[in-house]
Amino acid sequence: MDTLARFRLRAEARRFGLGYLWWLLEPLLYVGVFYLVFVLFLGNREPGFLFFLAVGKLTFIWFSKTINQAALSLLHSREIMAQTNLPKHLFPMAVIHEGLYRQGAVFVFLLIFIWAAGFTPDGVWLWLIPVMLTQYLLIVGCSLLAAVLVCLQRDFQMLIQLGMVFLLFMSGVFWDINAISNPKLIFWLETLNPLAVLLDAYREVLLRGSAPDISKLLFINLQAVVLLGLMIWLYAKLHFWLAERAITQ
Amino acid sequence: MRYPSPSGSGRQAYSVFDGINLELRRGERLGVVGRNGVGKSTLLRIMAKIFAPYSGEVVWAPNVTVSLLTLGLGFRPDLTGRENALLACLLQGLSKQDANAALGSIQSFCEIGDFFDAPVRTYSTGMRARLGFATALANRSDVILIDETLGVGDAAFKERAQETLKGHMTEERGIVIVSHAPAQITRLCDRAIWLAEGGVRVDGKPEEVLASYSP
Repeated sequence: MDTLARFRLRAEARRFGLGYLWWLLEPLLYVGVFYLVFVLFLGNREPGFLFFLAVGKLTFIWFSKTINQAALSLLHSREIMAQTNLPKHLFPMAVIHEGLYRQGAVFVFLLIFIWAAGFTPDGVWLWLIPVMLTQYLLIVGCSLLAAVLVCLQRDFQMLIQLGMVFLLFMSGVFWDINAISNPKLIFWLETLNPLAVLLDAYREVLLRGSAPDISKLLFINLQAVVLLGLMIWLYAKLHFWLAERAITQ
Repeated sequence: MRYPSPSGSGRQAYSVFDGINLELRRGERLGVVGRNGVGKSTLLRIMAKIFAPYSGEVVWAPNVTVSLLTLGLGFRPDLTGRENALLACLLQGLSKQDANAALGSIQSFCEIGDFFDAPVRTYSTGMRARLGFATALANRSDVILIDETLGVGDAAFKERAQETLKGHMTEERGIVIVSHAPAQITRLCDRAIWLAEGGVRVDGKPEEVLASYSP
């Protein structure tokens, strides 16, 4: 799986003239665009808004990019599936692994950027580890689900892509969830969209320098573990069906 | 075995074949002939445990490993021949060490020189086929199922591929070959079946089966 992921990265790097440089260029360009639009054009004078956006967006893309790519992983592996009887979760997992490598570079960039901006790293930053682990679990569960859905019916790919755009606006990348005054709305947003909680947790640690809400994190872990358990059961149950569906669809 | 209808109206399933009863003995080399669409490839996929049959069952003796060889499928165009070969070996279940060891013989068999370290997208069809065949030979399974593999490349390569394949046939190893080339089946197999709608029409010596076979 790891070899598959690393080879995929290598193949991707070769397709582009700048190769692996894109790992750093992409987050850099995002921040550049945000600066241009929100600070220069819209004249947002709120201090730290750029960092607020950077933390939100650069952690959000880990989720959205991985899900979008993993959604196609079973269909795109149909040729290998037609030759060898392999565990089917291997294909989405390789994509998730690939995303993990790439996000590693993004996190390094983000932390240096935040540090350079005057937010000094301290013990609180250790909280990033459980937050990242939570996000990883959530990504695995959702990726496995997305891959099955697209294998079932290709049209789901369009829905998933749209869903990621919807989530981009619903997760508080551009706005602060703490600014919502209606407690009911916050409750439902946090219950139904774990990403909103995660993004806020990253900001809590990196920008506000305090520990995130542990009970909320635990609740997301519970959601992710239930989803993951369901997926493990589903992949075992659908083992042959997934191959047949991917090959003949 | 049923398949969803590939074209047009909805998803109604049709039966590719029904009621096949086939036994493969240790070291047997079976050739399969039949018209297009009769289910030869599906039969191989069921034998390789890639598809599950809708009814009936496939029983393999304990600890028998089976693989299906198809040439050059799943090669990633942006990876080099070496990387693709390594990946293919790993996916076929070889350990990393064995896969690395197999690379030498793969490289020497395909005779593509420096292209072995160039991306596969720069390959000609023939080169791709050579790499595919050489990679497939690294397989160590007890039973190998071959789907139309030998019909590629130029005459010299075909000849060499058949010879090499013969060299890989031992007393212990079973082989099932699907082919449209009668000469291949008489040369490589000791038994043949003619697969038609509804099941196996003729089963016997390759010469006998091919004599009665009319596509």
